[in-house]
Amino acid sequence: MAAVLVAQTPTGDVLIKNGTVLTVTNGTLENTDILVRDGKIRRIGKNLRTPNGVMEVDATGKFVMPGIIDAHSHIAGSAINEGTSQVTAEVSMEDVVDPLDVSIYRALAGGVTSIHLMHGSANVIGGQNETMKLRFGTTDPDDLRFQGAPRTIKFALGENPTRGGRSRGIQPQSRMGVENMLRNAFTQAVEYREEWAAYNANKDPRKVAPEYDLRMQTLVDIMNGDVLVHCHSYRADEIYMLLKVFSDFNIPKITFQHANEAYKVAPELAAFGASASVFADWWAYKLEVYYSTAYNAAILTENGVLTSINSDSGELIRHLFHEAAKTQKYGELTDDQALALITLNPAKQLGIDDRVGSLEEGKDADIAIFDKHPLSVYAIPQMTFVDGVKYFDIENDGDDQRIYINPESSISEMTLYERHNDHRCMEGAFLDMEEYFSIFKK
Amino acid sequence: MKSTINKLFTLLFAIVIFSGSSFAQEDDQVLKARSGKFALTNAKIFTVTNGVIENGTLLISNGIIEAVGTNVTIPADAEVIDVEGREIYPGMIDSGTTLGLSEIGSISEAQDFREFGALTPQMQALTAVNPNSVAIPVTRVSGVTTVWTMPQGGPLPGTAAAINLFGYTPDQMFAGSKGVVMNFPSTPTGWRARRLTEAQKKERMDRALKTINDAWDKAELYAKIENADDVRAYPEIEALVPVVKGELTLFIEANAAADITAAITWVEDRGYEQVVLTGVAEGWRVADEIAASGLSVITGPVQAIPTRQSDRFDAAYANPAVLQKAGVKVALRTMEAENVRNLPYHAGFAAAYGMGREEALKAITINAAEILGVGDQIGSIEVGKKANVFVATGDPFETATKITDLFIDGYKVPMTSRQIRLYDEFLNRTPSVDKTKPVIDIKKK
Amino acid sequence: MKRLKKLRLQLAVLFMLSMGHVMTFAQSDPTGDSPVTGTFALTNATVITSPGSMLTEATVVVRNGLILNVGQNVNIPANAEVIDATGLYVYPAFIDGMSNTGAERPENPERPRDLFTPDPPNEYAGITPERSVVAQLDASNSSIASMRKTGFAISHTVPYGRMLPGSGSLILLKDADHADEMIMARDVALYAQWVGAPGAYPGNILGMMAKWRNLYRNAELNKQHADMYAENPSGLARPTSSRVSQAFYPVLTKEKPVMFDVSGMLDVRRAMRLQNDLGFTLMVAGVTQAFELVDEFKATGVPVFLSLDLPDEPKEIKSDDKSDEVAALEARRMEFYKKHVGQAGLLAQEGIQFGFSSKGASGGKIMANIRTMIENGLSEDIALAALTTNPAQMLGIDQVTGTVESGKLANLLVSTAPVFEKDAQIKMMFVDGDKYEYDTKDKKEASKATASTGDATGPYAAVLGSWTYTFRTPQGEQTGKMIIKNGAAGLEGVFTSDDGSPDTDMNDVNFRDNELTFNLELDAGGQSILLVVQGTVSGTSYDAQATVEAFNVTLEISATKDEK
Repeated sequence: MAAVLVAQTPTGDVLIKNGTVLTVTNGTLENTDILVRDGKIRRIGKNLRTPNGVMEVDATGKFVMPGIIDAHSHIAGSAINEGTSQVTAEVSMEDVVDPLDVSIYRALAGGVTSIHLMHGSANVIGGQNETMKLRFGTTDPDDLRFQGAPRTIKFALGENPTRGGRSRGIQPQSRMGVENMLRNAFTQAVEYREEWAAYNANKDPRKVAPEYDLRMQTLVDIMNGDVLVHCHSYRADEIYMLLKVFSDFNIPKITFQHANEAYKVAPELAAFGASASVFADWWAYKLEVYYSTAYNAAILTENGVLTSINSDSGELIRHLFHEAAKTQKYGELTDDQALALITLNPAKQLGIDDRVGSLEEGKDADIAIFDKHPLSVYAIPQMTFVDGVKYFDIENDGDDQRIYINPESSISEMTLYERHNDHRCMEGAFLDMEEYFSIFKK
Repeated sequence: MKSTINKLFTLLFAIVIFSGSSFAQEDDQVLKARSGKFALTNAKIFTVTNGVIENGTLLISNGIIEAVGTNVTIPADAEVIDVEGREIYPGMIDSGTTLGLSEIGSISEAQDFREFGALTPQMQALTAVNPNSVAIPVTRVSGVTTVWTMPQGGPLPGTAAAINLFGYTPDQMFAGSKGVVMNFPSTPTGWRARRLTEAQKKERMDRALKTINDAWDKAELYAKIENADDVRAYPEIEALVPVVKGELTLFIEANAAADITAAITWVEDRGYEQVVLTGVAEGWRVADEIAASGLSVITGPVQAIPTRQSDRFDAAYANPAVLQKAGVKVALRTMEAENVRNLPYHAGFAAAYGMGREEALKAITINAAEILGVGDQIGSIEVGKKANVFVATGDPFETATKITDLFIDGYKVPMTSRQIRLYDEFLNRTPSVDKTKPVIDIKKK
Repeated sequence: MKRLKKLRLQLAVLFMLSMGHVMTFAQSDPTGDSPVTGTFALTNATVITSPGSMLTEATVVVRNGLILNVGQNVNIPANAEVIDATGLYVYPAFIDGMSNTGAERPENPERPRDLFTPDPPNEYAGITPERSVVAQLDASNSSIASMRKTGFAISHTVPYGRMLPGSGSLILLKDADHADEMIMARDVALYAQWVGAPGAYPGNILGMMAKWRNLYRNAELNKQHADMYAENPSGLARPTSSRVSQAFYPVLTKEKPVMFDVSGMLDVRRAMRLQNDLGFTLMVAGVTQAFELVDEFKATGVPVFLSLDLPDEPKEIKSDDKSDEVAALEARRMEFYKKHVGQAGLLAQEGIQFGFSSKGASGGKIMANIRTMIENGLSEDIALAALTTNPAQMLGIDQVTGTVESGKLANLLVSTAPVFEKDAQIKMMFVDGDKYEYDTKDKKEASKATASTGDATGPYAAVLGSWTYTFRTPQGEQTGKMIIKNGAAGLEGVFTSDDGSPDTDMNDVNFRDNELTFNLELDAGGQSILLVVQGTVSGTSYDAQATVEAFNVTLEISATKDEK
């Protein structure tokens, strides 16, 4: 059988001239040019010469920043949560990428160039996530892959998995059960690792292989450091619990997602070297976030915890620059600190900071251009580049960006946005029959 | 002597306010609101209805705005607060929330805006409001002083009310107006509607409207006979009578373009005079029709996903501007419970995407007040109006701006909330972590 | 015994070893149904022996289930029934790449009392690759006759079920007393769908992809173990007997292909991704969005069966002052409609060989859909190839069928006009040498006939009209009307709701032997929930159960017929 086509990543060349360049790592450079070749930032400097055939973009009066990275997203996925089991390390979002989602374009129109498509949060140990670049316009999911990005996986603590357990009559139904499930899973994985190590070391030609278990194998990969864990969590005590579990199993890297109460254990997080990816100001939607504060990101940053701000929403992703700016209202973060929350810091948390997250020579040309400083509420994204290819240009922004249209759809089909339904983390989590029959009672 | 004391007071305030942004609470000291006479001086005052006063004084007394201008005589017993370099705005008004009716989203026991039953217009949002909701201080320290809090659910879910975000009982919070909420039924749009003729669509619409029309027919009848002897008590219908009589405003929620025009036709057919359209997410599609109808609009949230997959990405951001430019009077709402504090940012987006700062500011001040029926009391800085104002370090639409002072009903409300107190407690936690003795022992590779 | 490598060789052997076509003439038959002779001669016909190849004034001789001879001057055996086929067109009968024709939907497995959703029994989860569709075949199933009437003689029938229902078999669409008589080739492909376990693992595509990988890898290891043990068991642990693993062994060795039931482009890509990861031989069927996959199909050479289902043509709003926006949206939507109906032509143009599958298509619309494809770029020759020679080749039976040639199976379609013409009607079918005749009407009569079955004396009289139903849901009782009427393609119906909610269309409405079945597709906040309703009509009462497929939960519906 012939090999499946390997997707070719489109790359571009462009010279972005005379903008205010917000590098994030090297301060703000006025009236500066950026030369992009073959999708990489070749040079950053003043008065650069335009090579032959390279498109010029006049950024005079505009602000140029690294493409925004959303470390927690559920757009572009055909399914979000395999909620029928509490441990599903074997599943992966790479199998369910949906490149047809118009949300991708709308995120580009908000300056976002990369997302972390995450499994849902109904399971204690969820599935593997997929780091992607928003190369909108293709029907092939592989075209969106962030080549070379480290593997990551989703864990979840607190009310989501316990509610899932209660609705299915299985463990966990309490935070105690969540810890137990984690320790159990890793203990089993240690045994699995030893079993297979023994088998592999065995020289007997008639050796019989132990049972293969993709789930256990993935947990082994986590313990070996090949998969980064991102854990949905809220309460300070469960965050602390996970630090201890990871310490016991020698897993040094962890990013807590949402982590509304991370500020209460900021010193412990800093000491461990753990990081956090939080909301700017969402709270009170569940009991475990009732005691939040919008100053969370600022407190964490001031205490030396690597922090990012994410969206977990197809709506919020479009104005992450505005969400990051809220740390100057709820806190005293500087411009560069605020910008880092949506660029360099999430890049580090995803292990892709060698490629993206700041405007530096040699990095990928994932760039967003704004008409005003991105931390101003009046800023309107103008252009967004991924690998030097322009995927969004407000001057050439067609009305209907759909890649596929169901011929049997109605042209006036509409869905009303409701923020409390926006949290896709929960999808597939419970058997809520009442929800499903509400069709008869609108 | 008095002026020295005043200056000391000012100094104290300045220290408190500008000391590293921590609105610090002394041990065992509880910050309480204070009433009295306040003179805010050296301010840039955005009156909204009478332009911007560059270097003015605002005098608050007896709960109202006593004087505003550049030449204001400050009474001797007034507390003088020098707000040099800062700006004063009317308290912002959110024209659609469930604030005070919802404490924790996932816990149904903590939600009080949705009652069971198809016909429940008599349900009163006002009395169900929890004046001690944690979200209320969190909201007001961001400059939102008044909200419209509304029941949700079926076709006629209840009676909404305007509340100021200060007070210990609903009556203390009541801002002066109520309104009946109606959810207009949705016309079939999806694949089911493909094969319907216009006549069939109308027939389905009539069927869906039946419950509503029956109720209003009864209300009209009740209005005629209510003074007779022997009229039964009928709370559901009685709640609608004031609308029939033109004494209470009806707020009709419609979002799809077809529903908006259907709602306008319905209003014309029934002849009710005090009606406001709410939601209006696809208003931009039928802006001219709405303008022609003369109805005012409350729309939002502005930060929302467009209603159709085929829509431009900024359809929701630009919606208020399109309506306003077509001649519609627009107020903005967040439809939030716990994050009403983001109202200025919704307005900021509306401003950026076509509305402009001035109109966007009106949409969350005077327009909102007038549409909600309290335009004579709040919504602008004018003599005689209630003293609902806030002081900011700059444009309140910008996130870098800090709100430094807050007045509601003439009370100086302390700039504190649970979230601020948590910031203070945990910015530098005591005890922190002992770095010589790691709590977590990890053998890093 | 030496293992046979190629599917077609295997089938040829199977076929030859099979009973073939035996006529037992010497029996008394009081029904009068038995034919007098098994030899037929169709004379003076236009015979399309294979796509692009036509003989006029030709005779086709059929004897004992095989085509004896085709030509203009052929000898007609003495015991032949001679049929004057002047003005008629003879084609090779159609081959359906994937359908449930002939299979009866089994009852849903009962939900185990203490269901442990992370690890349900394989039978409950729908992981039963060891099963065969043969167990579901029912020779009296009405779909056999109705597909035959549409021109099909062979169907690759696949079992009902979930993720891995079992293997599909090739069956001949003939009248038989017992299903065995219909089977042409057993278990020719392992059938797979993207249908998850009901409320248990694997519940959706995430779990299914991982489960596939796990099952496959373990099957490989088990086979290694089993092979080693078979050669020399001494000292080795006894291999566990896993029926699931064992069902995969012929797939591992590539003797048996996997047929994936996929519709949209993303589903096809997922199946191809699995194939790329694991290495099995893949066929895809039921494809509805092939227009995006041309490059992949070319690069991989995966056998493709396009779905015979096409979307309805979008109706545009007729208005003089249509807004620009509306016009633009309609134009874009039409663009995609054109892609759907033009994809067969596109694949043909790109040199990709494909067949057709009828699963998911409404029987009454199949020929109309093919005509639509022809109007949109598919040549008639390739249309015919996709129904005959292509599937024969892809399913490994091209040595015995697919064309009208001497020595091949007597599977013939006899039409009153060139088969893809609008007014063409099928006058006769030959399946495995058995003759089936149909009444044909001229155009006007034909349309009158469909209209008249709306009368009260028709076979559907018992269900037509308006019913008042009560539906017992967890939220209480819902009431409304169930209205059933005749439509162009069979029964149609709609569920209305007394509280003014939008109506819900009834799909796949079937009424037979007092059993009324249909599906309701409900929209719950963007997610689609399928309700399968089955019940009995007795007089003016209807009692049924509605099963929520996704969660294996059953609810009661009862209805009473309204008086006129």
